[in-house]
Amino acid sequence: MSPHDEARLIAAARKGDSRAYAALVDVHQQAVRGFLRRFAGHWADADDLAQEAFVTAWAKLSRFEGRSSFRSWVSGIGFRIARDAKRTHSRAQVRESDWQSEQENAEGGAPIEDQIAVQRAMLELPDEQRAVVALCLGEGFSHSEAAEILKLPLGTVKSHVTRGRERLLRALETE
Amino acid sequence: MMDAEARLAAVFGAGAAPVRDPSFTLAVIRGAEAARFKAAAAASMLRWGGLAAVVACLALVLAGWTSVNWAGAQGGILGAGAIFALVAMARLMTQRLAPAVVR
Repeated sequence: MSPHDEARLIAAARKGDSRAYAALVDVHQQAVRGFLRRFAGHWADADDLAQEAFVTAWAKLSRFEGRSSFRSWVSGIGFRIARDAKRTHSRAQVRESDWQSEQENAEGGAPIEDQIAVQRAMLELPDEQRAVVALCLGEGFSHSEAAEILKLPLGTVKSHVTRGRERLLRALETE
Repeated sequence: MMDAEARLAAVFGAGAAPVRDPSFTLAVIRGAEAARFKAAAAASMLRWGGLAAVVACLALVLAGWTSVNWAGAQGGILGAGAIFALVAMARLMTQRLAPAVVR
């Protein structure tokens, strides 16, 4: 979708056009869901969080200034919702569901043991670092986009990517 | 045997991305509509509740004032009734006269 088309859809959605907003959700849902699955670590909840992020984004669409892309803006909303939701989740629940999540992900291509190792290592990363890794390594966001989404300095994002990547590689090597 | 870099790339590869799901889009739109309805209903309830509270307060004040100044209230009611009757009569006359002027 071209930026012009996206701007047109955003303008229509601001006026309450649900079809325009559905088109925006359709285009960006994979990136936002993918990021939240990697960040939250459990799939069903991650899709609920993504849904909440899109619903919140529509309610706040009048505040979207267009300084970042719509995808980045919604991902930022999703990150904040997921971070708040994490406080109410017990760690046991996360561990219980991650095995099941990886079973669903088995069609992805990588061996299941690698997927489990990476997901476990991801859960061990600090929140900000995990979010940066999920955005930049998982969903292909640029460093500056990740900085904008997470409201972090660019240098911090770069160091999070380097350190997070090293820790994930170490987890795979020791597997 | 793949090295760790390649294995990590495979885990984060395109195959691991969630597929586009139309039911997700539908759920978002339904959720948004439900949230809008809830907000509109709450705003409407607040508006009507506020209005009802103001009317009730005014009625109480009026009832209190009327019980203390019954003579003045009587005069006011009679005056308002007379004005209302005059206005009603004037409207009736103009409505009756208008077709006659057209003819």
